[in-house]
Amino acid sequence: MADGGATDGKGIGARVLRKEDWRHLAGKAKFTGDFQRPGQKEMAFVRSDVAHARIVSVTKPAGFEDSVFTAADMPGMRPMRAPSKLPGYKGADYPALAIGKVRFVGEPVAVCVADTRAEAEDLAQATVVEYEELPAVVDMLDAKAPDAPRLHEDWDDNLVMETFADDDFSKIADRATVIVKREYRMARHAMNPMEGRAVFAEWDDRTDQLMMWTSTQVPHLIRTGLAEFLGLDQRQVRVIAPDVGGGFGCKALLQPEEVIAGWLTRHLEAPVRWIEDRREHLVTGANCREHHYFVTIHATPEGRILGLDCDVTIDAGAYSVYPFTNGLEGAMAHGNLPGPYDLEVYRCRTQTMTTNKPPLMPYRGVARPGVCYAMEMTIDALAREIGMESHLIRAMNMVKQEQLPFMSIAKKHFDSGNYPKSVEMVVDMIGLDKIRAEQAAAKDDSRLIGVGMGSYVEQTAHGTSVFASWGVAMVPGYEQATVRLTPDGGLELRIGVQSHGQGMETSMAQMAYEVLGIDPEKVMVTHGDTGLTPYSTGTYASRSMVMAGGATARACRVLAERMEIIAAHLLQCERAEVSVRGGKIVSGKGEVSFAEIGRVWYLNPDELPDDVDQGGVEVTMGYRPEPDSGAFTYASHACKVAVDIDTGKVKILDYAIVEDCGTIVNPMIVEGQTYGGATQGIGTALLEESTYDSFGNPGASTFADYMMPGATDAPHYRIDHMESPSPFTEYGIKGMGEGGTIPTPAAIGNAINDALKGIGAEVTETPFTPRRVLAAIAAATQNRQGDAA
Amino acid sequence: MTELTLKINGEDVTADVEPRLSLADFVRDHRRLTGTHLGCEHGVCGACTVLMNGEPVRSCITFAVAADGTEITTIEGFDDDDPMTMLRQAFHENHALQCGYCTPGMLVAARDIVTRLPDADEDRVRLELAGNLCRCTGYVGIVNAILSVIEKRQA
Repeated sequence: MADGGATDGKGIGARVLRKEDWRHLAGKAKFTGDFQRPGQKEMAFVRSDVAHARIVSVTKPAGFEDSVFTAADMPGMRPMRAPSKLPGYKGADYPALAIGKVRFVGEPVAVCVADTRAEAEDLAQATVVEYEELPAVVDMLDAKAPDAPRLHEDWDDNLVMETFADDDFSKIADRATVIVKREYRMARHAMNPMEGRAVFAEWDDRTDQLMMWTSTQVPHLIRTGLAEFLGLDQRQVRVIAPDVGGGFGCKALLQPEEVIAGWLTRHLEAPVRWIEDRREHLVTGANCREHHYFVTIHATPEGRILGLDCDVTIDAGAYSVYPFTNGLEGAMAHGNLPGPYDLEVYRCRTQTMTTNKPPLMPYRGVARPGVCYAMEMTIDALAREIGMESHLIRAMNMVKQEQLPFMSIAKKHFDSGNYPKSVEMVVDMIGLDKIRAEQAAAKDDSRLIGVGMGSYVEQTAHGTSVFASWGVAMVPGYEQATVRLTPDGGLELRIGVQSHGQGMETSMAQMAYEVLGIDPEKVMVTHGDTGLTPYSTGTYASRSMVMAGGATARACRVLAERMEIIAAHLLQCERAEVSVRGGKIVSGKGEVSFAEIGRVWYLNPDELPDDVDQGGVEVTMGYRPEPDSGAFTYASHACKVAVDIDTGKVKILDYAIVEDCGTIVNPMIVEGQTYGGATQGIGTALLEESTYDSFGNPGASTFADYMMPGATDAPHYRIDHMESPSPFTEYGIKGMGEGGTIPTPAAIGNAINDALKGIGAEVTETPFTPRRVLAAIAAATQNRQGDAA
Repeated sequence: MTELTLKINGEDVTADVEPRLSLADFVRDHRRLTGTHLGCEHGVCGACTVLMNGEPVRSCITFAVAADGTEITTIEGFDDDDPMTMLRQAFHENHALQCGYCTPGMLVAARDIVTRLPDADEDRVRLELAGNLCRCTGYVGIVNAILSVIEKRQA
């Protein structure tokens, strides 16, 4: 039986330095934009510069009619269709190139091809589109008006989907005498991986295949989608994600540009390349986070929260995205609003509205940064109302360790952990008592200190049953991994997920080490290639370490058994006497190296025993946790801020994190993911906003008017870990890639409101820019003056 | 077309280029030095940072023709450079990269910091990094790596 013999610190729990670093440090990584072939064409797009219009005509530059393509010029290319089985869901087909109408600024209308990008852009500039403008639906709340313009003519309204849960609040009415109601907004923004989207496509006549290198998190889904919308057999499509410069969700969906590149390379009989520029990303990729909330908490005067009543509106943009649809956000909001809290009654309505903006996509954290912000900000409002520290309210109301596993009021199956403990620890780390003393002693009333926190519980690696309940076209099943011993005793590990910063070339090798004791340096991890790896729905939902890691462990165990049979024969002993340990097969009678097994299987099979497993030393195994309702990571974040009430500027002075993602495979990577996620959360909280004017024109199309968190915006984080293994997953691992983003806006917003509590001001709309902070202060001042008058 | 003569990573290069060609596109597409990355193409994110006559410049908003007569060093040109060797090791040990896309520009900027400001503290390092965006790491590993090299160079 293989136990790996993880004695020298390279398996689960070890801070193994990353194998993938060196190519990046040397400048020798290979991203999609780095591909170049003789005779290749560059693509550039004519994109709509109006939010809502009928296309009257497209006039191509004279002499270049064959280099400019509209939807009408591309027979066989179908609009992307992402249906959902959720009741009442209306998903609008997303045409790769606009057909008849445009519905957001940046929507592709025509594609131009030339030998260089500059020349292709020249063609795009010389192409004239005549529009008949229509009134635009810019705001999700305005979209609900009965007389609002319709985006989709065949719809009765602009409602994509509605969810509803309703409990009887009368049973808590006597006890819940404190009612706190708030309204919040979270701004739309863009995910902004440093590498934008990119695609390189060529048709391989030898294999009769469309070869597509694309900057994606989900190569197998891209393959399935391309086949469907280009009318190809799936065998005719091979998708490879080479080095991918960050994804965060926007690369987990099929892109119009991928479909177009697939069509063009076949019909032009030339390789084609498209590299998104930042302006395209900020305009067409302004696609996430935009929520509006009414939240009402019903509590006792002692701070026991009995009921939660929410009205959520989600701005889904213009079209349904393949394959996850734009109904996911509403379903996630609905299921995650109550957070880690044990409530008696829950009422929630979510309405997902279509608007003349880019289609909503799932950004790291997916709906949870919004719901956590709405819930946690309201908890602090309750704390101020009843004069209690909010961390006591959190700890009092959280599901307790002894209640786990626990079915939450929103039907989430919490697995393991100690949620109130994370609150207690983070309150200690941030030094709440010291900050309270500092506030009490403060002399400077123009620079106010505040402390705030946010807690969440996050469903990760949720599987078949959960996605099936969301009714999306693509439901994850058994995740597979393939391991193959090489003739010299190395290991090839093939996984269908894709690593684009998560360090899976290292952490998956650590999983193999855990079982086989093979040095991670001798494990070649292959990912992101549909031709080489088992089918997978890919990297999203914080699932890869749980799912592909679990599959890797299982495949390695089967490989170990097969090697043990061969080794027992070579050592002339019983099968029960040998075991895989420390990268060898050992017994009382001696040991056999993996290289020896490889030599015998591949080169000297005459030495194999009769009972050898004829499957050889290559194994594919599938894995799905049981139950597959997800492994629940949780964390509490706390921060200290200074608010300059003259300028409205917020400065983060300290930031503490306590997180529990179950068994940690590589603490260095877990911390890196957490810091990175939290910094994106700081962007959400303080900086990032895709603004629109009343006509639906985007106001942030460069990094000069879209603010990204820089090194001076990010604090010197402090982190501590708890480690509560999931009882349902291999090694108790829980997913954690997204979590850092989730409580950050709440923690920062609460800290600002704590600083402003003496003034009676509250911020309720992200990002908490100086303008919004000053407006909150002005409104509070005006209220006070109004009261005085 | 405009003729251009310069040195790239120690090698003499002569080329005939369009005046509108950027230095970044020149090194990437014409010289196949694809370690220089383009993140924003408007001079904010710093992914395209290279050295021109020893000083960091944004190759995305520098015309290739403006590099005539200069010495350019891209990430591929630092193999015998001591500060860069130390920085690479430090970036590796401090988990200063995840997706790796900002890394070449970040390293070139970091080399400038450690050589120009041998006494920089954390606040100064963060300030100096204001021209380089990273979306993955939260800057923790990057700042730690640079500080560790500053410390080693002081020893």
